[in-house]
Amino acid sequence: MSRNSRTAEVEVINGKVSMKGRRSVFALCLLAFALLTGCGVRFDMQDQPRYKTYKKSDFFKDGRASRDLPEGTVARGLLKDNKAFYTGKIDNPDPNVQVQTTTDPTGNTLVSSFPNDITEFPITVTKDVIDRGQDRFNIYCIVCHGPVGAGDGMIVRRGFVKPPTYHDDRLRNAPVGHFFDVMSNGWGRMNGYAAQISVADRWAIVAYIRALQASQNPTEIMKMNSTSPAKTGETSAAETHGGAK
Amino acid sequence: MAQFFHRSANNIARISMILGVILAGTAFYVYTQVARSSYLTGRYVEKQQPVQFSHKHHVGDDGIDCRYCHTQVETTASAGMPPTQTCMNCHSQIWADSPYLEPVRASYRDNKPIEWERVHDLPEFAYFNHSIHVAKGVGCSTCHGQIDNMPAVYQENTLQMEWCLACHREPEKFIRPKSEIYNMKWQDADLDAKERLDLKAKYKIRSKEMMTSCSVCHR
Repeated sequence: MSRNSRTAEVEVINGKVSMKGRRSVFALCLLAFALLTGCGVRFDMQDQPRYKTYKKSDFFKDGRASRDLPEGTVARGLLKDNKAFYTGKIDNPDPNVQVQTTTDPTGNTLVSSFPNDITEFPITVTKDVIDRGQDRFNIYCIVCHGPVGAGDGMIVRRGFVKPPTYHDDRLRNAPVGHFFDVMSNGWGRMNGYAAQISVADRWAIVAYIRALQASQNPTEIMKMNSTSPAKTGETSAAETHGGAK
Repeated sequence: MAQFFHRSANNIARISMILGVILAGTAFYVYTQVARSSYLTGRYVEKQQPVQFSHKHHVGDDGIDCRYCHTQVETTASAGMPPTQTCMNCHSQIWADSPYLEPVRASYRDNKPIEWERVHDLPEFAYFNHSIHVAKGVGCSTCHGQIDNMPAVYQENTLQMEWCLACHREPEKFIRPKSEIYNMKWQDADLDAKERLDLKAKYKIRSKEMMTSCSVCHR
């Protein structure tokens, strides 16, 4: 309300505000107060009219202030054209190829052929990457797969079906892309962890699983102990061929 | 020096003046205590949630890492509330037909988020970021208390500005090694003062002047 209209309400007689004028100003104030409080208009600084994370929205039908990205949105620099890195699959996977499976005594369906998975890491595997993988493994995987991947985690002890161990020939010979695929999309009773673990971290976990497998494999350990340091360097370079995107 | 009371002042006037000072002091003290009380800060008040989720069971008994559910705590301001799918990672198999978990299954079925009650509600003029705190050696239990011992989570601290500043003035009294951030059993006595000062330098924690600058929290 502008100043002019407000003063217009007040009758001024001989430079003094009349009783009638005072009364109408009072009534106006009362009306404004009733309107402001009645409509619930509050401008408290601790509760500002903007959305913070997880705040409820009255505007959107589903009540969520955090909106999903429109389908097909590509963030700058995240085209994800590096197929091996983002999917763990070879460049032209055959969608019709049949994956061979077997069933173990606990009812888990096990994959025994890995036709479309990449066999070499799409990142450079360093000690730092494996350490990061260990860190992430001990958050997300240890709950079911156990500290060394034998399938004896706490959740299994609480009644979840025991997952297959990493330490048999089937998974020792499985390509790295298979582990990445299972982490991303799930397999059997395991849900995908793509929402919880970033792509780079999933590859770090694959690297750590390879380290776990070596640690529980006597022949592998004997091989490591008998080879000279120079030769070990050669093997790891060959294994990590590919490099980061 | 002039006389303190005028000759005409009687005892009632003198006593009432002294009493007035004492009363004002008491009133101020009561005000400070009420302002810090859990009645006004919400401290120690257990919040009832739509699902009877127990951190004591999941963290204390099962040993699940904080980050299994609060996945973004290292990278974003919000620690992250888990989507219902995270619950279903285990509860698709365990307690899969328990009536306690019906709200979870309903949320998963209908694709509607569970509406959790916020326990730590900071005023919106205060900026807070989880990731910087865990990156500089502030552990979960330093602010949130023994979560592994809370069947229903409550606010362990007042969240008042004086509480924030106590640490921003002297972070070396509260920090721990980064490897122990998520360790619920960590005690402040596990490090001595010298080791903490070294940590403060190692983690490049800024000076008291920088840390208590207004715009660090009010931006």
